[in-house]
Amino acid sequence: MLAYSLPSDISPSTFVNTASLVRIVALGLISAAAISSRLFAVVNFESIIHEFDPWFNYRATRVLASKGFYEFWNWFDPTAWYPLGRVVGGTIYPGLMATSGVIYNILHALNLPVDIRNICVLLAPGFSAFTAWATYMFTKEMKDESAGLLAAAFIGIVPGYISRSVAGSYDNEAIAIFLLMFTFYAWIKALKTGSALFGTIAALFYFYMVAAWGGYAFITNMIPLHAFVLLLMGRYTNRLYVAYCSWYAIGTLSSMQVPFVGFQPVRTSEHMAALGIFGLLQIVAFAQLIRSHVTSKQFQDLLFVSVISAAVLGMAAMVLLTYKGWIAPWTGRFYSLWDTGYAKKYIPIIASVSEHQPTAWPSFFMDLHMLTFLFPFGVLVLFRTLRDEHVFVIIYAVMGTYFAGVMVRLMLTLTPCVCVASAVGLSQLIDTFMDPREPDVGEEEEKEDGSSTTATPSKKAAKKEKNAAPVTGVGAIDDIVSTLSIAGGLEKDKSAKAKTGIFGLDTRMVVLFNTAAMLLFFVLHCTWVTSNAYSSPSVVLASSNPDGSQHIIDDFREAYYWLRMNTKEDAVVMSWWDYGYQIAGMADRVTLVDNNTWNNTHIATVGKAMSSPEEVAYPILRKHDVDYVLVIFGGLIGYSGDDINKFLWMVRIAQGVWPDEIQEPNYFTQQGEYRVDDQASKAMKDSLMYKMSYYRFAELFGGGQVVDRVRQQYLPKQGPTLDYLDEAFTSENWIVRIFQVKKEDLLGRDLKSANGFAQGKKRKRSKPPVKRRVLA
Amino acid sequence: MFRIWRVLLLILSLAILSYARSSTGNSLLVVLDPSLSKDNYSIFFKGLEEQGYELTFRAPKDVTPAIIQDGIASFAHVILFTPETKTYAKDIVPQALVDLLSKNTNVIFALGSKQTPLTSLASEFSLILPPPGTPLISHFPERDTPATVVPIPVSFPSPALTSGLSPVWYSGIPFALGNNPLLVPFLNAPSESFAADTTEDSGADAIVDAAERGGEGLWAGKDMSVVTGFQTIDGGRALFVGGIELFSDEFAKKEVTKGVKSGNAQFARDVAAWTFQESLVLRVDGSTHHKVNETQPGDKYTTNDHVVYSTHISKYNPTTCTWEPFSGLTDMQLEFTMLDPHIRTSLPPVQGKPGEYSVTFRIPDRHGVFKFVVDYKRKGWTHLHSSTTVPVVPPRHDEYPRFLSAAWPYYVGAISTSAGFVIFSVLWLAGDDRGSRRRKGAKAE
Amino acid sequence: MLLPWLTLLWIPLYVLAAKSSVHQQLVELAAQNNGVIKLNDKTYDLLTSPDRDWSVSVHFTALDKRRRCNPCREFDPSWNAVAKAWSTVPRSERDHHFFATLDFDDGHTVFQKLGLTSAPVVHVYPAAEGPRRPVNGKLAPYKYDFTHGFDAEPLALELSKHTPVAIPYRAPIDWAKWGTFAVILLSGLITLRFISPVLQSRWTWAIGTIITSLVMQSGYMFTRIRGMPYTAGNGQWIAPGFQSQYGQETQVVAVIYGLLAVSFLMLTVIAPLQKSAQRQRAQIYLWTAVNLIIFSVLVSLFRTKNRGYPFKLFL
Repeated sequence: MLAYSLPSDISPSTFVNTASLVRIVALGLISAAAISSRLFAVVNFESIIHEFDPWFNYRATRVLASKGFYEFWNWFDPTAWYPLGRVVGGTIYPGLMATSGVIYNILHALNLPVDIRNICVLLAPGFSAFTAWATYMFTKEMKDESAGLLAAAFIGIVPGYISRSVAGSYDNEAIAIFLLMFTFYAWIKALKTGSALFGTIAALFYFYMVAAWGGYAFITNMIPLHAFVLLLMGRYTNRLYVAYCSWYAIGTLSSMQVPFVGFQPVRTSEHMAALGIFGLLQIVAFAQLIRSHVTSKQFQDLLFVSVISAAVLGMAAMVLLTYKGWIAPWTGRFYSLWDTGYAKKYIPIIASVSEHQPTAWPSFFMDLHMLTFLFPFGVLVLFRTLRDEHVFVIIYAVMGTYFAGVMVRLMLTLTPCVCVASAVGLSQLIDTFMDPREPDVGEEEEKEDGSSTTATPSKKAAKKEKNAAPVTGVGAIDDIVSTLSIAGGLEKDKSAKAKTGIFGLDTRMVVLFNTAAMLLFFVLHCTWVTSNAYSSPSVVLASSNPDGSQHIIDDFREAYYWLRMNTKEDAVVMSWWDYGYQIAGMADRVTLVDNNTWNNTHIATVGKAMSSPEEVAYPILRKHDVDYVLVIFGGLIGYSGDDINKFLWMVRIAQGVWPDEIQEPNYFTQQGEYRVDDQASKAMKDSLMYKMSYYRFAELFGGGQVVDRVRQQYLPKQGPTLDYLDEAFTSENWIVRIFQVKKEDLLGRDLKSANGFAQGKKRKRSKPPVKRRVLA
Repeated sequence: MFRIWRVLLLILSLAILSYARSSTGNSLLVVLDPSLSKDNYSIFFKGLEEQGYELTFRAPKDVTPAIIQDGIASFAHVILFTPETKTYAKDIVPQALVDLLSKNTNVIFALGSKQTPLTSLASEFSLILPPPGTPLISHFPERDTPATVVPIPVSFPSPALTSGLSPVWYSGIPFALGNNPLLVPFLNAPSESFAADTTEDSGADAIVDAAERGGEGLWAGKDMSVVTGFQTIDGGRALFVGGIELFSDEFAKKEVTKGVKSGNAQFARDVAAWTFQESLVLRVDGSTHHKVNETQPGDKYTTNDHVVYSTHISKYNPTTCTWEPFSGLTDMQLEFTMLDPHIRTSLPPVQGKPGEYSVTFRIPDRHGVFKFVVDYKRKGWTHLHSSTTVPVVPPRHDEYPRFLSAAWPYYVGAISTSAGFVIFSVLWLAGDDRGSRRRKGAKAE
Repeated sequence: MLLPWLTLLWIPLYVLAAKSSVHQQLVELAAQNNGVIKLNDKTYDLLTSPDRDWSVSVHFTALDKRRRCNPCREFDPSWNAVAKAWSTVPRSERDHHFFATLDFDDGHTVFQKLGLTSAPVVHVYPAAEGPRRPVNGKLAPYKYDFTHGFDAEPLALELSKHTPVAIPYRAPIDWAKWGTFAVILLSGLITLRFISPVLQSRWTWAIGTIITSLVMQSGYMFTRIRGMPYTAGNGQWIAPGFQSQYGQETQVVAVIYGLLAVSFLMLTVIAPLQKSAQRQRAQIYLWTAVNLIIFSVLVSLFRTKNRGYPFKLFL
């Protein structure tokens, strides 16, 4: 019995061919959609590198493209972290730059003179198409092609991934998500087939991932966790052994070739899980081998005990090694994922990064929209069949949601999993309601489908799994083909009479229409979020005029260009670390600290200089040869991401190193408020940051009320004065202000009195040194 | 190339300065108060003219020639013989005078006992003047001149002064020196002298009382200076003289003791020579650095490299008006600095190469942006400062030792595994596969 | 070293006597109450008298229920624990530093005088005379910074900088915590045999997984890490702003997500099992409607968080 009629004159081969053609076309369209929705940034603004870190990546890529790989590998950047310098080759993940470099060289070998900047800008959208394909392959392994297509469509346009991969967002994540998904796909494939080839492919892509992104630790722990859970579930197979060992051995050895990683895989706690599982698998495999040859019950018991004790011993050894310092403990960044209060207490610099804040639910909804609730449903669907690979997605789901909840930036790692699980769920829904077969009501005694309701012991599931494994992937098509043949009346066996299913056409229409509407809404949402929230380069700001037209605020580039054109080539510019990469990239000047926050003391030095009074800050500035100080000030146009709002972090970080000199409470008013108006605390008003931000700000209001539009506070009419610095440049909207550090006074006076003299102030007649009194 | 340039520059400077003795120029403006007569200082002025200076005279209230025209100093040197002048033309204000020094113009200030703009300017130079109207007084040694005219022996010889000078006649105010390293005292008051507004001995108690009340103590003793030079951070030189009489013909001719002429004329010439950058003028001609056994300077060095740093120093010779290589500095130091000096070593002169100072050292095992810093500051001498920035990088990827003895276990492991694999493959491929063939055969049958 | 002795000699004897008696009094007061002196207006002045040769840490608080100072009550045990730890220090050192508590209800005037408008506040007054007078002569009280929370450990660490010797504070072993942990572990092990079918059931794990993902996605970690309240004081349960939320929001959003997921589950898995066409049809319409309505609710909830959001469903 069919709910609707199917054409009967199509041969199965035609159907299969058409289906594959449609799949290819669909994948092509998905790629096109993925790429083009990421081009909002270029269309709305221009082909420009975004934000902060991408500027460094871009700069490094230029070095790579112009000087070649070996020079890049040995690149020592004397202009960063002045005067410490930065060994770039040993402190970055070179995968991204190497990828762009290869593309650049290929294009130039083909006589296509594409600018390196455009390659960098468009790399992320390009790789998003690959990500869609990898997700398709991955999901195909989970369910079937149609789920794969859905997953590919989801990952193609879901804002959670777009947020890190719009055109111009030239960051490690741009290629890392593709690598992540492809590594996982290769791992699943290796696990399912027991093929060392796919294990090796997984290892190679793992190596690429290690070279590209610090988030590789996620793979390093996900795959062992999966293997471990399978072991616990009693699903040890030789396929698992082959897949894991080939992946671990080759992957680890190759990952150690990345200079930045070096010996970490054998020396740090983050990698110990992988090593431990590797060891455990050897023991288990050995035990299995013995078990298959020896039958004595006692011996098998003994074996079981010895396996357990060996595992426990191995664990104890690792703990001991960690305790002894041979294995480095968890790094702060990693540790703060588990102990969420840790970073704020001990590493304020990590806690200060906005990406490291916990995620509120609107962010989840914004980034995932309807996938937020489709995803748990998809996980449930996976639980119904619970094959080995499904276990992987389930573990991923648990880990991913936890991490995404703790840190906003890890939303990115959750997104692929959400897409896969949602696609599986949604495709199951569509399968159910598209299936034209109606249940056979004639049969009264229905047996319930065992897998859906009763709890199957895992062994049984595993056995069933073995049978199922070879046919998955083509299962859905088989199904449809058989359905088609029923329609054609070619075959009339029992499969035509489905035991469960949907009655009637209207029910099908309602659900499918609802689903289609939701998918449409999803597309609208994604497009809106992408174009409105995630496409701003943050180097160029946009606001709208009263008449609705767009007004571009280009203060950053204006100021960086001023620096580039008007200062000495080796001038040292001090700013808070957020702007380090941009100054290096756009102004090409020496910076004290930048976004690669590896040296807390150096950052704290800058924090101290910013939060100290002028006369304390001046020796620090001179010692570091600072020529210019750059501050970001949003008070005039209401740009809230300015330095005064970040100031407390500077204070906190400085306090961590100099608790006696800088104290956070001093920057609050008596009532514990953070104010900048005339009630501001003395330390606040004396601080270099405050003085630079509000220097001559009052003059702008011509005697009227001086208002800071970010903090909505009224400032005193008499603004702060500067003695040790000179205002050098202030951008159009006052967002960027650059101050020049004065030279020491010609006559050896302190600059405050020198300044007083230059302004014609009378100095008090000084008295001779006290020692003369003794003479008298 | 560099050398040729330097020679050319030398010739050029020779041509320009052939008449001048100063290293910075020969135009000299004398701002002379109308109450003073030029003839009273003829020995001093004539001496300067003979040396090749072009003197221009101007009264303080004259508008031309301006000391700074369009932001450029009009003269290489300025003498302000205006100890009592209270008002000047618009261009001479204290700020402008400091500005002059920043434009490398050298200035001689003659101070008087009255409160004038110059006395308030003096405090910017860390000079502490006594209250107005208190000249230096000494009753020793016994002599026929008034107590305010004091013969001062040149007690501590500055390298700028001719050695063996007779005492100098002095009449004017003393001043205390602040704690400023840029001051270069030339002549200090005698131990017995003091500053007071009365020459009467009977008023001694009153003076002491006043000193106590003022809270400044008594203005007395040899820590007070009467002639002090000042060298700015940039190398501009100023001279403060507490009394203009020092330069006068009368004092120059006056005998200190019977038959011994005063040292005034020579002393005035010496301090003027110092002020006008004739004596004790040094410069760094250039500095180079390179690895040992190389000649070209590296644009970066690797940690633990051995490098040679050398610098070339010249001294100005006023008699020939040329810069001559100078090897006389024995206490110069080189610092290799990143935030703090990582290496501080003496930079000795090289035997046989005049003017050349050189040192070889090992770069510390620390990468970063280092500076070769030579910072030579001695009182009276031009401050020498030279700073060269150079990055120090870790070894390149191919500069590390390739084979380590400690790694032999790993080598052996890798080689034995590879060999084992090859042997296994060979044996397995060549082996007899009888078992399976039998089975196949059975099937075929 | 000699100087303090000299000054002591200069002070007339009766002052010395008076002072020592004040000191003696303080020592006794401290001994009475586990090392914490309960202050009022008068004793505060006594304790912080300008010629004190002892240092003192004063804790300003408002413990009365009517004052509604939750942080005060939270901090009080930590303070007392640290003070108690100090009272174990040998007498020779202990009597040079005091711990005192001033409740708002006992000392309005002191609060007013110091301009304190919030509690708890901890001030440390250095010794104004004697050998422990700070070298730099700064007598202004040090204000304790609560950035590390209300725990005793950071407090002891910070105050130790101002006491003659470090405060020997050691966090007490939380026996209750360890006890419950052990009991749970033991009972878990014992019941393992009985609950193992539950543990081996995939649906146990499925429910755990689903609940985890729902709770995490509704921002539970945010409320936990930020310590967000359950609702705002005025009963409002939706936090204003996109990057913020209250505890109740987490629950509501989690339930909404859960309902939506259940609606899909019902449609896909449960409805096909129904043998009666009519009942199945009703079920499908019901769950589709639920899906639509709850989704509309979710979107409208999102619109209140993100005002610029242009889309809406039925609500």
